[in-house]
Amino acid sequence: MVRKLSFLLIVVLLMTAVMPSLLSAQTPDDTTLVIAQSVDVAGLEPASVNSRAEANIFFHVFATLFEIADDGSLSPYLATAYSISEDGKEWTFTLNEGLTCHDGEALTAEDVAYSFDRAFDPANAFTGNTAGFVFPSIGFQGTRVEDDLNVTIITDRRQSENNRLALISEVYIHCKDSYAAMTLEEAAQNPIGSGPYRLVEWVPDDYILLEAVEGYTLRETAFKTHYWRVIPEASTRVAELIAGNVDVIANVPPDQQAAIDTSGVATVQAVAGTRRIYVGFQFGENFADAPGYEALQKTEVRVALQYAVDVPTICATLLGTQCERASSMVNPPNNNPDLAPYPYDPAKAEELLDAAGYPRNADGVRFETVLMGPRGRYLNDANVVQAIGQYLSDVGVKTTVDIREWADYRQLVGPKEVGPMFFLGTGGGTWSALYDMTDLSSPTAGTNYTNWQNEDWFALWNTLGDVTSPEEEREKINALLDIFYNDPPWLLLYFQPDFYGVSNRLDWTARRDEWIVIYNAKLK
Amino acid sequence: MTQTPVTTLQIDQLAPQYSEWRRARDSLVKARFPILALIILGLLVFLTIFGPAIAPKDPNRQTLVDRLLAPLQPNTQGQVIYVLGSDVMGRDVLSRIIYGARVSLLVGLAAVMIGGALGTSLGVIAGYFGGYIDDIIMRIADIQLAFPFILLTIMVLVVLGPGVLNLVVVLGVAQWVTYARIARGQTISVRAKEYVEAARSMGASHLEIVVRAILPNIVSPLIVIASFNVASVILSEATLSYLGLGVPEDVPTWGKILAESRDQLLAGKWWLAVFPGVAIMLTVLSLNILGDWLRDFLDPRLRGNR
Repeated sequence: MVRKLSFLLIVVLLMTAVMPSLLSAQTPDDTTLVIAQSVDVAGLEPASVNSRAEANIFFHVFATLFEIADDGSLSPYLATAYSISEDGKEWTFTLNEGLTCHDGEALTAEDVAYSFDRAFDPANAFTGNTAGFVFPSIGFQGTRVEDDLNVTIITDRRQSENNRLALISEVYIHCKDSYAAMTLEEAAQNPIGSGPYRLVEWVPDDYILLEAVEGYTLRETAFKTHYWRVIPEASTRVAELIAGNVDVIANVPPDQQAAIDTSGVATVQAVAGTRRIYVGFQFGENFADAPGYEALQKTEVRVALQYAVDVPTICATLLGTQCERASSMVNPPNNNPDLAPYPYDPAKAEELLDAAGYPRNADGVRFETVLMGPRGRYLNDANVVQAIGQYLSDVGVKTTVDIREWADYRQLVGPKEVGPMFFLGTGGGTWSALYDMTDLSSPTAGTNYTNWQNEDWFALWNTLGDVTSPEEEREKINALLDIFYNDPPWLLLYFQPDFYGVSNRLDWTARRDEWIVIYNAKLK
Repeated sequence: MTQTPVTTLQIDQLAPQYSEWRRARDSLVKARFPILALIILGLLVFLTIFGPAIAPKDPNRQTLVDRLLAPLQPNTQGQVIYVLGSDVMGRDVLSRIIYGARVSLLVGLAAVMIGGALGTSLGVIAGYFGGYIDDIIMRIADIQLAFPFILLTIMVLVVLGPGVLNLVVVLGVAQWVTYARIARGQTISVRAKEYVEAARSMGASHLEIVVRAILPNIVSPLIVIASFNVASVILSEATLSYLGLGVPEDVPTWGKILAESRDQLLAGKWWLAVFPGVAIMLTVLSLNILGDWLRDFLDPRLRGNR
């Protein structure tokens, strides 16, 4: 009796997991590609994009001046060439001729300038990647239209060429007339792009349907339609892939990879990702009354906590792979070779916490704090957050774990309302140390989520524009990373390994930087 | 031969001393299944009270290197520590189920007590006074009934946030309508009885009439409903925890343990779903069997059948 009921229970649970998929199941035909991510877009405003999952979709709708590959190589896109002024502060881009936006409007230099200026306009209050990351990183000041095909981007600093070009290549270009005619609310619902795909339909929390733009010449498109589905549950994504309803899924949990590899319909592609996963220590004064805030302001405490977390074990058990702990915010091999990753040494952590003035009390607690984290955004994120909470509690820092659904969590990350400790991952690259470091390009940068104010860092950062040789730049980078290491605003964790489930019918290779660039995917 | 008239008093004296407790015991023995249900529920109460002493490990203690061990599978040091296996964080499933019993029973009983007390009070007031008071109370009940129960609780929990107290209050308040409707109907049927009239004519206050004359005579069906209701509240708690709306991360509940097993079903980690599932099933089944028996036992029409 009990065995029968147990069996019945399992069947019911499996049906619960798979039922939503069955209800919306649609086996894709040869003209349709279906991609499943764990999270939905927050809106359709190109200047508000602030996560890679969103950018993956927007990149297919909006073209950029150049396109960057995960090895750092750049290829022309809307622009064919660029030139740099003598002082290195002004960059002039030459556009292809005959460009149009999806509504048929001609795309000229004026539209490129408008795309930048609109994102920069304080009245619009955009906090996405363009305004929060790209502009502070390049010191954006404005634009100048030279003629129909030439537009100049004006900045306040010199910067390494590759890094600047890569950053500028993250700005989505759209047409002035169509966007000037819409309110911000209307623009957030009606994207009029310049890329190889146009939006057909967005059903929030379900899917986004894109359709290839006829006659688009800048990029080849093998599939007429793209479905970008939102499937928060990892097991449901896996079930959908195995059922043949989805072609690509992101964030395959390690425990379910065998189910995919043995299914005969799909395989797992594992790549060493470049996303920096860390726990941020919040310095913003809006958290001054939060538990543990005062203790976490002390450099000695933040250093001590680095020793408290067993990152290699987290990688081996919860992420299903061996990983070396990060020694900085920079992806290898561009990190400072003199900095060794903090080892797992709880005894040393306790010793340092004692020395910092936080001995254990009668209950064994040094101080209490809260660790916030998301569920469903990063690989096994909620479990990793719980594990970190346990490790911190083990050395006497009683940690309450506060896990929120990503849709709620991301609303707090942008305005820096996460803390006093928070779990986060930010995209990175292997081709430039500075690209990885631009999260902290200024004390007020949108991506300085911890509100870190280290004066030495920002003073040295501001001298990067004066470097005259790669060696000098490297020296400064190492010095910066040394500052970061010794006054850590992050509890350093790992570079996230990425696991994609890919249908056997598809010829597509996953990138290391988490961009799902899939306009060029083909059937085998 | 003369016959001595037998008075009522003499009949009572001649009848065997047959208490309600003895009648209940005999009825239980005869029915058999309710005894099993009582044993299971007794075990549940035992676990609830002595859980911390019995549980082999701290239910929240993670040992990552021991994660996803099957029942009785030795860990990396060759020791069999996890009788019912370990979960995705290396926590002991048995300990989590034992602690989960506390939450389930606490939530089930507390919510039914809140719902029962609130619903019975309002139902008796509505039935006793009638008129516009009855109309107001019962229309409120109708409005609440118009909302799907689970949707209502989800909405309230999203606003209040997860937590055992919030869960108990929400589930309790969600139950009151059932009790109110039954209490009202029963009150209407007894308020015209002679003993109520007698109490009223003797100058008893409304409160005295309700407490001494009405409540004792309508309590049986409410007890039966409550026994079923505990089961449904435990299921609701499991459902809400499964949806992530139940209790905080560090409070293990059966529903949450079940929810955590979702991602492991395809990986064949059956023990993560089966054991909490069986715990829920046995508890709910036991409460339903007991409720069935109680309903029959308290029904005077069926009294002669046992």
